[in-house]
Formats: sequence, C-alpha cells, structure tokens
Amino acid sequence: MNYKTITYDRLGETLYEYDHPTGLKAFLVRKPGYNKKTALFATDYGSIDNVFKKGDGKVMHVPDGIAHFLEHKLFEQEDGNMLDKFSRMGSSPNAFTSFNQTAYYFTCTDLFEENFRMLLDYVQSPWLTDENVEKEKGIIGQEIRMYEDSPDWRLFFNLLDCLYVNHPVKVDIAGTLESIAQINKELLYDCYNTFYTPSNMVVVVAGDVDPELVFTTVDDMIKSNHRGKPEKHYPEEPEEVNMAYKEQKLQVSMPLFNMGIKDPVRVSGYELLKRRTALGIILAAIMGRSSELFNRLYYEGLINDSFRFEVSADQSYGFVNWGGQSSDPEKVAAEIRKEIEATVERGLDEAVFTRIKKSHEGVFIRTLNSPDAIAREMMDCYFNKTSYFELSRVFEELDLDYVNQVLRSLFTKTTALSVIHPV
Amino acid sequence: MESTTVKASVEKLAEKNGITFYRIRSEKFKTNRVDVFFLDNLEKERASGNAIIPSVLKRGCQKFATQRELEIRLEELYGADVDGGCSKKGETQIVSFHMSHIADRYTSGRDKLFDQCSQLLMCILQYPVVENNGFKASVFRQERDNLVDYIRSRINDKMRFSFLRCIEEMCSGEAFAIPDEGYEEDALLLTPQKTYAIYREMITSYPCFVYMSGAIDDESAHRFIEQFSQLPRANLRKVVLPDVSKTVREVRRVDESMDVNQGKLCLGFRTNVGPSSPDYYPLVVYNGILGGDVHSKLFQNVREKASLAYYAQSVLEKYKGLMVIMSGIEQENRSKAEEIILRQFEDMREGRITQDEIDATKKSLRTGIKTMQDSQGAIVDFFLSQHLTRDEEDFETMARKLEAVTIDDVVRVAQKIQLDTVYFLKPNQPQP
Repeated sequence: MNYKTITYDRLGETLYEYDHPTGLKAFLVRKPGYNKKTALFATDYGSIDNVFKKGDGKVMHVPDGIAHFLEHKLFEQEDGNMLDKFSRMGSSPNAFTSFNQTAYYFTCTDLFEENFRMLLDYVQSPWLTDENVEKEKGIIGQEIRMYEDSPDWRLFFNLLDCLYVNHPVKVDIAGTLESIAQINKELLYDCYNTFYTPSNMVVVVAGDVDPELVFTTVDDMIKSNHRGKPEKHYPEEPEEVNMAYKEQKLQVSMPLFNMGIKDPVRVSGYELLKRRTALGIILAAIMGRSSELFNRLYYEGLINDSFRFEVSADQSYGFVNWGGQSSDPEKVAAEIRKEIEATVERGLDEAVFTRIKKSHEGVFIRTLNSPDAIAREMMDCYFNKTSYFELSRVFEELDLDYVNQVLRSLFTKTTALSVIHPV
Repeated sequence: MESTTVKASVEKLAEKNGITFYRIRSEKFKTNRVDVFFLDNLEKERASGNAIIPSVLKRGCQKFATQRELEIRLEELYGADVDGGCSKKGETQIVSFHMSHIADRYTSGRDKLFDQCSQLLMCILQYPVVENNGFKASVFRQERDNLVDYIRSRINDKMRFSFLRCIEEMCSGEAFAIPDEGYEEDALLLTPQKTYAIYREMITSYPCFVYMSGAIDDESAHRFIEQFSQLPRANLRKVVLPDVSKTVREVRRVDESMDVNQGKLCLGFRTNVGPSSPDYYPLVVYNGILGGDVHSKLFQNVREKASLAYYAQSVLEKYKGLMVIMSGIEQENRSKAEEIILRQFEDMREGRITQDEIDATKKSLRTGIKTMQDSQGAIVDFFLSQHLTRDEEDFETMARKLEAVTIDDVVRVAQKIQLDTVYFLKPNQPQP
C-alpha cells in the first residue's frame, strides 16, 4: 500500500494518509491503548449548498433542509435500516449535517473491518422511494418542532439572520416544515449525485487500527465514478449586516442574548487555521474568563456562568459570536461594544497574548484525548484545505502583530444583537 | 478483527478519616486529573446550601483573592481546569471538585503541573475568603442570585424540564424529588454564615472519595494524599441508600401547558430493582431492549414505523430504581404515542423479545463498557458509582454479568416494573 506516515512527536500522534485514485482522501489517526475505534465518511456538502451546477450544466435551486434530509435517508437501505444493522453488531452509528458538511460515522470496539465496510458501502448506495421519503417528513418535522422550542437554537439563528443578508448560512439546517414538504425523491437524487462523489469526500479513522487494513478496505470499497467536483454557487454577501437587532419571545426564565460580527475575509488552508486561532485569542482577551470585562460584568450581576464565545470560520463564511443569560442584554451589549472599541484602540498586550495562546494550545492538546473529536476536526480541516495537526505549527508561529492586525480589521465592524425575551 | 480490550482499573492508595484515595493509572491520555467527591444525604433544607458551595469557592481563595486571578493562573498553567459542581445519584447529593491539566510531556517540561494544579485545588477547598464567620458577603450574594437564576432557568430546556417535572410528580414526598441544586425558596434563605457552616461540615464530616487519574507517579500521589489529609475531620456522617421498592396503587396523570410547539410526553416507572440487586443487570438489558438504543422497541415503533417522533427513548435512574420514557410529539398524537409506548412495555412483560433484540442490546452494552474506559471522566464516574453502592465491581465483572443475562431474566424483571406517572407538557394553543 502506498500511504504516507507523519509523526508529530511533540503531540505524541501519528497520522497516516492515503490518496485514492478517485480523488478521495483517507486518513488514519492511530490511538494506541484506546478500545474505541471511530470511522467517519463525509462529503463537502451542507445546508448552505442549495444552489449548484449539476453534471449536465444545469443550475439547480433546491429546497432548504435537503442536505439534512438526505442524511436521514441514506440510513435506509433496500434490505433494512442501517442504524439497525450497526446496532446489531454492537456499534453505534450516527450522522450529522452542518452548514458545510455531512458526515456519517460509527464507533465500535470490535469487528472494525465489518463496520467500516458497511459504512463505506451504504453511503455510496442510496435507496430512495416515494414512500420512504414521505415517511421521513414526519420524523424530521418533529426534529424541526423540537428546535423551534429551543431558545438557544432560535437565539443563534436570529443572530445569523441579523448578520447575513443573502448567505444561506442564515437558514436553519433542517429547513422548515414548508421547505421539507417540497422535497422529493428526484431532488434528493440530484443532490446525491452531485455531492456524493469520491473526489468531494473524505474518510477519517481514529483508533488503534492497522493502516494497511484501513486503506486496503478503502481501495476495495470505493466505487470509481467520474462525476467530477461539484460547482457550488453562493450569493454575493455585502459587508454590512442585515439588521443590528432582532428579538423573539419564548418560554425562558430570563433574557438570553447573543452578539456577533460577520467576518468578510475568506481564506482557506493554513491561513484559515491561523485566523481561527487569532480570533479565539482576541475574544478570550476581550471577554474571556480572565478578562477585566468578564469579571466586571459578572460582579455586576449582568452576566453569569452561561456566558460563552465562539469562532466559526470556514472558506465560504465566517463570524464570531458570544452571549449567555442576562437581566439587561442592552446594557451588556453596550459594555461589550465599549470594551471592543477600547481594545482595538490599544491592541492586545504582549503578556496577555502569550498567556492565552499557551492556554489555547493546552486546550488543543486536550482535544487529542478524544478519537471522535479528532475525526471531526480532521474532516473539517481537510475540506478547508489544511490539516488539524497544523495547529501545532500555528501555535508556534502566531505572533502579536498578526493578531492585532486581525483585531483592528474585524472588530471595528458592526456588532449585531439577538435577544430572546421571556413570554 | 477481534481486538483485545485495554482495561482501566482502580487501586486504593489510602483510607483515613472517611476519605478514600484511589488512583486510576493510564498512559494513553494527554491529561492528568483529580476528582474529589463529598457525599451528603439529599435533604430539602441542605440541598441548595450544598449546591452553592462550589460556585462560592471558585470565586477565590486566600492565595488568589478573586476569580480573575485564579483564571489568569489557570491560563498560565496551559489552560488547566479547576472547577466544581453539584449533582445527585439517587438520594445522595454529591458536591464535586476537580482539577485537570495537560501532562508535562506536552509542555516545555519545567512546570510540574500536577503539583501546581493540586495546590490550586487545595487552596480553593481549604482556604476560602472568610469574613464575620461566613463567606465574603458580596461574593456570596452574587452566587445566591446566580443559583436562583439557574434554578429558574430549568424551564429553558423543555426536554429536560418535562423529565424533571415527571420525576418530581412521581416522587412527590420522597427525597429524590428534590432537584440536584435544591429549591429556590431554600436558596433564598441561605446566608453567608449558614452556608459557611454547611461548607465546614462538608469538609469535616461528609464521606469523601478522591480519584487521581492519568500518569501520576507514587511520589506525586502520596504528596497529594499527605496534603489532602490535613483537612480537619470529625463526626463522620453516613450516607443512607434509598429503598427502591414501591407498589403503585393508581397511575398518576399530570398535564401542564406552556407556550411551546411540541408536546413532551414522559412516563415514569418504578422498577423495584435496586443498584445492588441481582436483578440490576437484567434491568439494564431490559432498558436497552425497550428504549436504550436505535434498535430498541421504542425507537423502532414510535419513530421508524409510526413517524410520530424524532426521539423516543427510555432511561434508568440506577440508585432510585426508576425508569422514564420520553418522547417529543404533536399534541394531537398524544394518545396514539402513549398507546404505542405502552404496547412495547406490555410486549416486554409478556416476553415478546427476540434473540436478535437481546443480542444487539448486549453487544451495544459491551461496547459501551469498553469505550467508557477511553474517557477519564467516565472511568471515574463508574468507580464512584461502585463505591457509592459499596459494590466492588470492575469493568470486567460488569461485562460478565451483563453477558449472562437471558431473556427469562429480562421477563422476570419486566414483571416487577410498574407505571407510576404519566406527565405531558402540552402546547398552550393548538397550532394552526
């Protein structure tokens, strides 16, 4: 087998990678001493990919929620449900659809090869009927209803609606009851045939498995097809936000708030990892638990332990957001805006930058305890044209000048605010 | 490819003054951690007092007077973590603290993180900021407000809320009905002095378990034990495990309405099986077949066949011998869903269980036991459970006992389980 072995001595990890002739990439992160083995088979296709060019050159506009719908449907096979089949082998199968990716995976301890073959097989063998597509609408309908009642979920999507004018990242991943009603077998096959092509996919295995076994199985199971790389279309997104504020009333005990900034800079590869890391450090410096601001707001009773911040940066969209519970969201928002302004003015302090960078590097190393987390991060990084382990280099090379440059260019932009008020 | 299992085991290092020290050794993790558990009987008057202690202690100690100073220190220690919380297992309330840090081999190597982080943990536990024989009043008041807000915020998550309400109704009058973090009314009665007194009691007299996990050498472990054993201990309390048997005379039905879209149906059952009963493992298998996984009767019938729900599952509360079935459904499908759920329950009782169902369940439980050993937190939780019920089982004996369960065992256990309470959280107005 012709595969590459890369060892990361500092991290105590070994990565194996293999290029299949179809253009599919396969990775193994070997975890000696672990019982759990996880394998993930993913496509670079998520809820935002609603407009694309088909093989015949025709541009399709498909209903919201179709990537997620397809994820549900792939589990159904002519001879039964895959969930059931994995479960019979004692392994635990699942899948998720995000804005930009759809991933199918299982975790097992025994019979890795059998499970792995099943995973590679079913994702390549859709079996859709008018009847089974209709049946799924009831189940997904209840999933959508569940999210309608989730204050955190509503808060987040209301924020995205503030930030984005056109980009489909503002649309709920599962779609709406109305949009899924329009989904049918033919549309699902169109999406499947466009995006589930090996050159648009990746396989990641994490666990104590032999690389030879992983890659020969990939060779054996991946069907060649030459549909080519799909062409995705995203609408033009202006730099300005859609609206600065949005609120909704739900059954909650006290107001919830979430604020964010839309990042107009599109990068990929190592540059993207660097930007993500810089954004994380900036947010921690301004409003992290060690910051003056966090502690002041906490002491004043304006925020509590639920306060969090997050960085989402992908090739085709990016934003930072933060929030939690507060008795006075407007006041918190004003305080945070003021602090952002002051930080932009003076830049990050060298000592603070070094300390937080060290801390975030520690958090990265902790993540390597989890085979599941490794598999997901490897997939995400691959689709964004980099490798998760490159983060190690980012922590070595990242300097204050770059971080301050990101701070000054992004944190001068409009911050939007989303609030959920109690009924 | 059948693979060998890497087993996690625990060694008892010392036991003094009602504190038991354990070590769980492993080289495969990138982190070391220490978990400390103080145990108390779950009682209404004390529950919120216990619950607030970790939040107050995290706000600073004599060496790091404020939360901010502490957080800065943790960042310097490569993003180390010192935290605490409160939970319940059965009618035992558990006040927990932990610290974790990345192993020295991933740092520049000069830091001796275990010692530094242990000292931080000890400082928080041992030397809180005290005034007038109570916790620092300003800090205390903020944390009391936060606790009250936290208690109130349980309505935010409707799935969890309906689950808790079902338990509350079912166990009304029993200690288990008390929420993990106590009640708002009791939290409001807390003062810095009263809470400080509860804290002193916790330190001196609650039974305590300490687990050290990772690659911690003898010398470091003993140094930590030495330090921890300096806690003053007296009048040791005992934790009483609840009686799980209860005969249900009449099924209780509770409907509550809220401004929600999806109805949440929760059915609470008495299993009449305790954690140390020989029927416990058959019960675990029973639960797996009924609603534990995707192959289960509930998932297959409520979701896959009838398309009524996205989730339909059953969960066990080991220490109190309860089982709760949960599903999110449209209001108009309520009786249909309940009927399908109860039919599955009846099928279990009447022994309509296939070999396939029990095999799949046992395999999935076996996988669960093995993968638990890949998480430091899960390993600690497993051994704490064992020590709490005074069962000295390890992962292997648990696996063996589950393996030995037969369909007859499951049916025998099924006969003991009784429906107690049906709780429905229903949308206020019918949706258009």
